[in-house]
Amino acid sequence: MKTVSLGANRPSAVKFRMPTRDNLVPIRVDVEVDGQRYRDAFTWNPSDPDSEIISFAKRTAKDLKLPANFVPQMLHSIQGQLAEFRSYEGEEMQIREKIVPLKIDLRINNTVIRDQFLWDIGNLDSDPEEFARTLCDDLNITDPEVGPAIAVSIREQLYEIASQSVSAMREARVSKKGRRAPEFASNSKAMHNSLDLFKYFGSKGSVVRKRKEWYLYEPVVDVARKEEVGAIDATEELSSRNA
Amino acid sequence: MSTPSTPTPAATANSILPPPQQPSAGAPFSQPPSTAGTVKTEGPLPTSTTASAATVAAAAAAASAVVAEELSCTITVPSYSAWFSYDAIHETERRLMPEFFEGEAAAASGSRGPDAYKYYRDNLVRSFRARPGRRLTLTEARRGLVGDVGSVRRVFDFLEEWGLINYGASPSGAKQGRDKREEAAASQSSLPVGATMPRKLCTGCRTVCGLAYFSCEKADISLCARCYVRANYRPGLTATDFKRIEITEDAKSGWTDKETLHLLEAVLHYGEDWKKVSEHVGSRSEKDCIARFTRLPFGEQFMGLKEDKMQFEIDDDFNDESGSQISKRLRLTPLADASNPIMAQIAFLSAIVGSDVAAAAGQAAISAQSQVDVNGVSINYSINNIKEEESCTNELSVNDLLKEASRNAKVQLENERKDIEQSLSDIVGVQMKEIQDKILRFEQKELLVEKERQQLHYLRELLLSDQLAVVQHQRRPPPGPTESKDDDDKPKPIITIG
Repeated sequence: MKTVSLGANRPSAVKFRMPTRDNLVPIRVDVEVDGQRYRDAFTWNPSDPDSEIISFAKRTAKDLKLPANFVPQMLHSIQGQLAEFRSYEGEEMQIREKIVPLKIDLRINNTVIRDQFLWDIGNLDSDPEEFARTLCDDLNITDPEVGPAIAVSIREQLYEIASQSVSAMREARVSKKGRRAPEFASNSKAMHNSLDLFKYFGSKGSVVRKRKEWYLYEPVVDVARKEEVGAIDATEELSSRNA
Repeated sequence: MSTPSTPTPAATANSILPPPQQPSAGAPFSQPPSTAGTVKTEGPLPTSTTASAATVAAAAAAASAVVAEELSCTITVPSYSAWFSYDAIHETERRLMPEFFEGEAAAASGSRGPDAYKYYRDNLVRSFRARPGRRLTLTEARRGLVGDVGSVRRVFDFLEEWGLINYGASPSGAKQGRDKREEAAASQSSLPVGATMPRKLCTGCRTVCGLAYFSCEKADISLCARCYVRANYRPGLTATDFKRIEITEDAKSGWTDKETLHLLEAVLHYGEDWKKVSEHVGSRSEKDCIARFTRLPFGEQFMGLKEDKMQFEIDDDFNDESGSQISKRLRLTPLADASNPIMAQIAFLSAIVGSDVAAAAGQAAISAQSQVDVNGVSINYSINNIKEEESCTNELSVNDLLKEASRNAKVQLENERKDIEQSLSDIVGVQMKEIQDKILRFEQKELLVEKERQQLHYLRELLLSDQLAVVQHQRRPPPGPTESKDDDDKPKPIITIG
């Protein structure tokens, strides 16, 4: 058994990538043309050739019977997100063992799911897809669209954290504090929500969660009725249009 | 609603019965049974299969009354996909979807790897089979699958191509779907990769390929030039896996086999008279005929009619007229890029036919030729004896033709061999000359170096003598007892410089 010393978190710098086993990018598309709205979220493999984006967009528009003027906007949106991902790609980011709480708060068709769990972003072998699949199976969720939505949501949060790490590294380089900068920067800046393992577990020495905290981490799945769904949809649309 | 009572007319496809034999617990849609055991009979027995299908369906329908009601029609799977089974991954799948099975993906699980492939495949097939009349769209399918859409799309396309998904299904409802399915089943379809179509469809962008296309051996994919350049192929392939195949403009103008046959006949009869040739062919202008003719694989060989006859006889030994080979030629990679037209022709034909048949035909040709020689000899003999000139001259002319043709062929072969030897010896001569020049130059350099060395030596000795002279001068001022020593020293510094 390996003993892990909790204090010695040596950050190592690696090339930017999603801190998961498969380097897949979460893409969210929200296009509105002539009163018709298309919203979607899926995972894209950035090593696929770019010509596939256009054929994917056309195919999706055809499958959903959307008019052809959706396609350029969809294309633009997807390409923009991919370009942003690629702009990070040459940079370096810090990877260290760090536990972050991730949240899921989604409503897909009739199903409402809320959950909160801890995730180690230093683990480059983590797999949000597997997590999503297992979660759906364990909670007996019948709607097959929930799984991908959860996976995309997790990926988005991980992507956010990874890109923050990249920008933190950039700033650290630019600043004049010298070699000590990375340590300070990571401790002080965007990583507010990370937990210091040592503080959290250290004194008690047990990794079992305290009973009174169980309710925080329990997933909640609700199947809303049709009328409720209609109401929620309407309110969401109004708020997003006004925003 | 629950019995497929109308027997599918002349159905050449196979049926799989959807109602499950075992109770399916908790599944959102009822699943077809694992098809490992179901019978996949071929076309020629349509009545028996449908009869058995009907009876089994009736029995199963009664048993499955509890299960969902939409599984009332049979699901058809084309015969070339009969290997499909929920329990296993077939060799075909491994071969055509290497991204999931090769390299690091083979060991992985999750979004790469065989588990992922099986998960996508099983889910796609199940969702299609739940509503078999309706066309399953990619968007609908991928929304229910956890994973990146690129991989899902590839599996989806693969399954659709092989008829495991959306086979005969149209988007406009179940009834039409059933009719179309019967039609599709009735028309015997060969491999769906567009092998027999005269037009090449690119698997990447689904457009007609232009002048040339690139074919990948590993994955049975053909791409148009644009897709190839843009690297619009799967991650598992590299640019080196693709070979370039020319489609000439005949594909655009669509020379049918009949027209090509007419063309060849006409050329045989009329030789170089292209006006008559184009008349014989019919709907083609002279220019078209000439262009087509020169593009045929053996076009350059048509130098004399005698040789033509010989060639055609040999061709008949192998298989049908070469005209019918044109369409197949489009699929073959051009082997034997030999300048020798005979060898190219033979290589091309043997590639079509296969090595065994080609070897057998070669044997037959050789024995036929030797017989011809024998006949020629015997006929010469008979000419000397019998004086019926007409019959003799006929035989003579035919056999003479053959003999001459074979002699010509041999002579040409000899010439070729001599040419090759000549050019080889030329090459060797040139190389030797190069080496000799190099040796000369090296010798000159050696001389120069030697001279320099000697100069250096001379200079060094001068320097040494100067140093000694200086030392002597320094020694001279101390007078007296050392002078005798100087006298001794003097002879020493004399250095002979040669």
